[in-house]
Amino acid sequence: MTDKILQDELAKSGVEPLLPIEKKLIGWSLGLGLFFLAILGTISRIG
Amino acid sequence: MSEAAVPRVTWTEDLIALVAGLLIFALALPNLAGLDLLGWAVTTSVWTDASHALGTASKTYAGLGGVPALLLTYLALLSVLSVAAAALKVPVARFALAFTALFAIAYASWVLGSFAHLAVVTPADQKKFGIEWSLKLTNEGGYIVALVVGLAIANFAPSLAEKLKDAVRPELYIKIAIVILGAFLAVTAAGKLNLASNLLLRGVAAIIEAYLIYWPVVYFISRKYFGFSREWSAPLASGISICGVAAAIATGGAIRARPVVPVLVSSLVVIFAVVEVLILPWIAQTFLADDPLVAGAWIGLAIKTDGAAVAAGGITDSLILAKAAANGVNYQPGWILATTATVKVFIDIFIGIWAFILGTIWTNYITPKPEGERARAREIWQRFPKFILGFVATFAITLLLALYGPPDVTQKLAPAIGEANVFRVIFFLLTFFSIGLLSNFKKLWQEGFAKLVAVYLVSLFGFVIWVGFVISWIFFHGVLPPTVS
Repeated sequence: MTDKILQDELAKSGVEPLLPIEKKLIGWSLGLGLFFLAILGTISRIG
Repeated sequence: MSEAAVPRVTWTEDLIALVAGLLIFALALPNLAGLDLLGWAVTTSVWTDASHALGTASKTYAGLGGVPALLLTYLALLSVLSVAAAALKVPVARFALAFTALFAIAYASWVLGSFAHLAVVTPADQKKFGIEWSLKLTNEGGYIVALVVGLAIANFAPSLAEKLKDAVRPELYIKIAIVILGAFLAVTAAGKLNLASNLLLRGVAAIIEAYLIYWPVVYFISRKYFGFSREWSAPLASGISICGVAAAIATGGAIRARPVVPVLVSSLVVIFAVVEVLILPWIAQTFLADDPLVAGAWIGLAIKTDGAAVAAGGITDSLILAKAAANGVNYQPGWILATTATVKVFIDIFIGIWAFILGTIWTNYITPKPEGERARAREIWQRFPKFILGFVATFAITLLLALYGPPDVTQKLAPAIGEANVFRVIFFLLTFFSIGLLSNFKKLWQEGFAKLVAVYLVSLFGFVIWVGFVISWIFFHGVLPPTVS
């Protein structure tokens, strides 16, 4: 892939706003991740 | 039965790694009954006189001599890997030629890395070898020598790198090594099961970190601040967050991205992995020598390809143990490597499931596809890295033998697995050299990587290494490997 093609790709991609489903994916992933890490961290400390 | 009814196995590097790794493990086991089938394999000792560098894995074959052992090892690997090449439909003669050169250069690098002035660590060993100075790279510094030689060839003699390309298969080599590593880690873990169970907990945390913390953050940064499209951002987030090449390719396939996207992302991941291998083990030795397992977990999370991460875990193991030994503390080898490998293997397990989740979201909501083209549950199994089954099998069998075998078997277990481990070291070495050969920095720069590199830099140094460090610290701070007398 040349510079030109990659630049074209990036220019095209600027017009894609975050969809609600993407926001949900990001939000739920982070929320669940922090929740599970807190549980595992607690188990690790207790153990 | 008609020919059409016979299920055909599609051989992939993943499946071949599973078979080859199990074969080496199986050949090590008769040693428990006194039948030494692998003791002829070549090993290298730290040397000042090159004629004493090579030897055999077992004293049973000591009479063979170092150079014949090296030739035998080469021929054995050539035979097995030529069969693998045929299964992968790579021209065998071309593979054999390329592998011969690859093995020769890689093993020469390994021998050079064992030169006392490079490898010796402690003052006592300096005295023993009669030398005044050493770079203190440990005998695993040979990996770094191989990596640097590979980088030099890729960047200054690209035509030679091109000639070797049929044998340049870092994913195959590291997966075989990881299958064998399962047995080695089981021998280590059997000695301290409570610490091993702590590793498993850390492995589960690594899955959460990679998929549920790193991935959404990298995806968000890539989309929001760097303006990448969804097609680019998803494989990029997987490549940076999960386990590099395999994750980028699985995600690209799952969201039906064009093939060029994961290929380009993979190239970026490999380049960064090389840079990290050259830097992070020394950072870990400098700042985390008092927390060896924090270092091991951190390396596993920070370096994104399996090969580079597990191999860097091995180097970190050696460097930190060497520093501790110089201070009079002798940790049992293998625990740092075990931590890195556990983190990577646990992360790998979920690639298929994560790809399926993304595929379902993409093909149903983001770029809706007709019914027949949507993500299907069977893709989970198709994308599951099969070599992990080998790792689990060798780990479980060895652990059972160590814990419940009769005393005469348990006594012979460590030396038997040690012989298989000789091949693990060689496959690590081939991985390092291959990664170097794949890393033509100049070529990638010409391809206009700047923006992709920026996302990687921001993600890696902005939070991946810091979050990885903090969570590793929470799980392992103050937990030390067992010591040996």
